Amino acid sequence: MRDDKHDGTGWHADADDLGAYVRGELEAPRLWSVDEHLVACAPCRQALAEVGDPLALDAGWERLDAELDAPRPGAFEALLIRFGVADHTARLLAATPVLRASWLGAVLLVLAMTVITVYSAGSPVTFLALAPLLPLAGVAVSYGPAFDATYEMTLVAPLHGFRLLMIRTVAVLAASLALNGLATLALPEYGLRALAWLLPALALTTTGLALTARLGPVLAPVLVSGGWVALLVVADTTTRGTLAPFTAAGQGVAGAVAAVAAVLLLRLRDRFDASPAPSLFPDFAPRSTS
Amino acid sequence: MTTAPTVSASGLTLRYGGTAALDDVSLRLREGITGLIGPNGAGKTTLLRVLATAVPADRGAFAVLGHDPGTTAGRQEARRRLGYLPQNPGFHLDFTAFSFVDYVAILKELTDRAARHREVRRVLEAVDLSDVRGKRIKRLSGGMRQRVALAAALLGDPGLLLLDEPTVGLDPEQRMRFRELIAQAGESRTVLLSTHQTEDVAMLCHRVIVMVRGRIHFEGTPAELTARAAGRVWSSAERDPGARAGWRTGLGTFRNVGDPPRGAALLEPTLEDGYLLVLDGEPAEVASL
Repeated sequence: MRDDKHDGTGWHADADDLGAYVRGELEAPRLWSVDEHLVACAPCRQALAEVGDPLALDAGWERLDAELDAPRPGAFEALLIRFGVADHTARLLAATPVLRASWLGAVLLVLAMTVITVYSAGSPVTFLALAPLLPLAGVAVSYGPAFDATYEMTLVAPLHGFRLLMIRTVAVLAASLALNGLATLALPEYGLRALAWLLPALALTTTGLALTARLGPVLAPVLVSGGWVALLVVADTTTRGTLAPFTAAGQGVAGAVAAVAAVLLLRLRDRFDASPAPSLFPDFAPRSTS
Repeated sequence: MTTAPTVSASGLTLRYGGTAALDDVSLRLREGITGLIGPNGAGKTTLLRVLATAVPADRGAFAVLGHDPGTTAGRQEARRRLGYLPQNPGFHLDFTAFSFVDYVAILKELTDRAARHREVRRVLEAVDLSDVRGKRIKRLSGGMRQRVALAAALLGDPGLLLLDEPTVGLDPEQRMRFRELIAQAGESRTVLLSTHQTEDVAMLCHRVIVMVRGRIHFEGTPAELTARAAGRVWSSAERDPGARAGWRTGLGTFRNVGDPPRGAALLEPTLEDGYLLVLDGEPAEVASL
């Protein structure tokens, strides 16, 4: 009935798949393969007509129509879907302003320059001081009215604001930590010491987010990064050798701060469902007039 | 009408610094299109943002289709039932019209891909954008972008549609086209349309609310607003200093509203005349709710 010579796709949907397809039980991504294949393969369409009951078949055609109509996801989205991210989550991530080549490129450049500085200075401290700030900055610019053009729409959408924030944060954090990790690999002579940025990075990011719930999306990360820089300056003037945050004790404190901030963030999660706290910067405040 | 109101609000108050953007606002909205007019700074946008659950009021309470947005669960339910077109809807300009509306559909919890795409096609069809759904938003005109935003607001067939000055910045032809879309959208649901054009109200609305400095100064039908000016509009060859407001018409004569002098040549009132009189501090006479 089906003739292998009639199409160029090199395979045919088997009877089980077609049966599941008409019953609407076939799951993605197998479903998409069959959808796409049916568009290209007349014999399989014929076979489909023979296995299906008419009502279920109509639903199948409708889905196929929708499939033909829907635009192909962009390169970034397609990549995420390939890595097993659900298509709706991939779309939410594609709408994250930070997850763009331009941002990732800028981060990469900063890291490369820092690594060069480390080589010329003979100490990893510049890298360790800077690396924790990058994830914080990345997460900060993926949230809030100043950075997300559709902020007002996302705010009043039924999707829980905190959930959207977490989806974006996890993605930005993963990308940012991966880049930092690459930079760490470029500094092999410092061994594990070159990883001392990791816990401070998590501490700064979670603290920044927890404070965002109270202070808004601009002031909170600014305060947190200012605090980090101040801490390093103080540590530098008062101690000799390894700076306090990068000693074993300092790492323990960073881990504890991250844990406490994470608990605090969870407790404040409902605050991400309405406009942020009044900002000190009028540009970012909600419009107060008609 | 005896049906339950879609929105009932009482005593909504919201202050920014020292000024009250909303000052003890109470209202009922029912099926059909209600126009919300008032000068800049009257609190129209603030009222819409409060009703859209974007910002909580300092005082007062309201319900959307029986759900109280003051509670977490109620806010969630209210958000599922409302469509909101903000004053400056933002877009992800690199998205196509389809992907953008699809993105908003995901925010509205439509996770099943096939059902979601069906709904996206339906709303794009409703705003007459099916032909350009594959175009990137940065390539669309202002009028088309506004229709994309309206499509996004129509997702999920919301019982309440909040439109904040949707016709601003559109040329006359686009404005007419957009009005048709609003009229269609208002056929089977409650629409609150903020505008500063009395023309929008005259053409679209069955109810009208006039807001001035955070308070409701009038609530009634457009005909009732027009009737406020009955016997209080007259023409004169020169500007009449006794008029509350006057402007030169295309005929070269002056059109005045206020308390006409004896023997004045009275004119048929329009919605604008009624609106001007309400703006000019007529005693607040809110129709009983």
